[in-house]
Amino acid sequence: MTLSRESHTSTSNSILPQSANLLTENGKFKKSMASALPSGDQGAAEANSGNGGQMQKKPFTFNEIVLRNRLTALVVDGDNFCRLLEQGILQAYGLETQSVNNGDAAVELIASGAKFDLILIDMLLPILDGVEATRRIRAMGMRCKMLGVTACSGERERQAFLAAGVDMFVEKPLGPEILIPVLRELDGQV
Amino acid sequence: MEVGQMQRRLVDYTKTLFMEGFLDAQFLQLQQLQDESNPDFVVEVVSLFFDDSEKLLNDLSMALDQPNVDFKKVDAHVHQLKGSSSSIGAQRVKNACIAFRNFCEEQNIDATLRCLQQVKHEYYLVKNKLETLLRLEQQIVAAGGSIPTIEMGF
Repeated sequence: MTLSRESHTSTSNSILPQSANLLTENGKFKKSMASALPSGDQGAAEANSGNGGQMQKKPFTFNEIVLRNRLTALVVDGDNFCRLLEQGILQAYGLETQSVNNGDAAVELIASGAKFDLILIDMLLPILDGVEATRRIRAMGMRCKMLGVTACSGERERQAFLAAGVDMFVEKPLGPEILIPVLRELDGQV
Repeated sequence: MEVGQMQRRLVDYTKTLFMEGFLDAQFLQLQQLQDESNPDFVVEVVSLFFDDSEKLLNDLSMALDQPNVDFKKVDAHVHQLKGSSSSIGAQRVKNACIAFRNFCEEQNIDATLRCLQQVKHEYYLVKNKLETLLRLEQQIVAAGGSIPTIEMGF
């Protein structure tokens, strides 16, 4: 499988190459969030058959959140894998997502009028880094939730990113313990 | 082998990977995003990780093979690999990257070359483990069973 590296803005959900199957034909991530039932029912029967029910039912876990509103997100990450993964995770939670692979494209996208409820932005980015991109996005009046999601881990980096305007500094990986409360807040769920 | 046995084998294998530190909780979280409407999420994500990592390892080898090594460039590649390996839950690769970055800061050629070998070693180990794990899952699905979920608190 080859990943195409975009050099500029990616403005649609269907940025994955044809060979990847994460998206359906119309660009929606293939996860049904309507299944708020404990989904152990299908698996449990087979899992518990045979010898002695050692298998666990699929637990009603921390990643069970059903969004009531249409939420949009932008992922800004220079690493293909991380970008597509974060996009995939957000789509699995039911958000509509776009992604770009550099800070300059992110700023341009916002400048062109695109609005997002949530932005995930890495610190080290090609062309324009995450700190400066964040600064410029905030300067344009974007008040949306911005999470700095980065492999950087120093206190200095944390302060710099927060000072530039991210609401939270998240050391990769972005896990549900951070994401779900954010989504609940954005969705107006108490 | 019947489905129940296959499932137990998968659970045991997965637990071993956790206990040996190859995978951490992040991988479990990714698995939980996979369901019947999205049955290939994990295998797709893992494939992406392989592609991405192998490119990074190639870039790293080239960067360290230069007469005048650009340690900033090396560090940038390692940083990316740290990010992606932590995002998929490949804990030992991530830890190897952390050590690698320390030596990049020191601009220590010999140490960084050793680190590269270490990272490659850890990467190929986890790649092998993940391929085995995915194969076990595929066998279960092919036999009509479902993939059991691992509880986090084992």
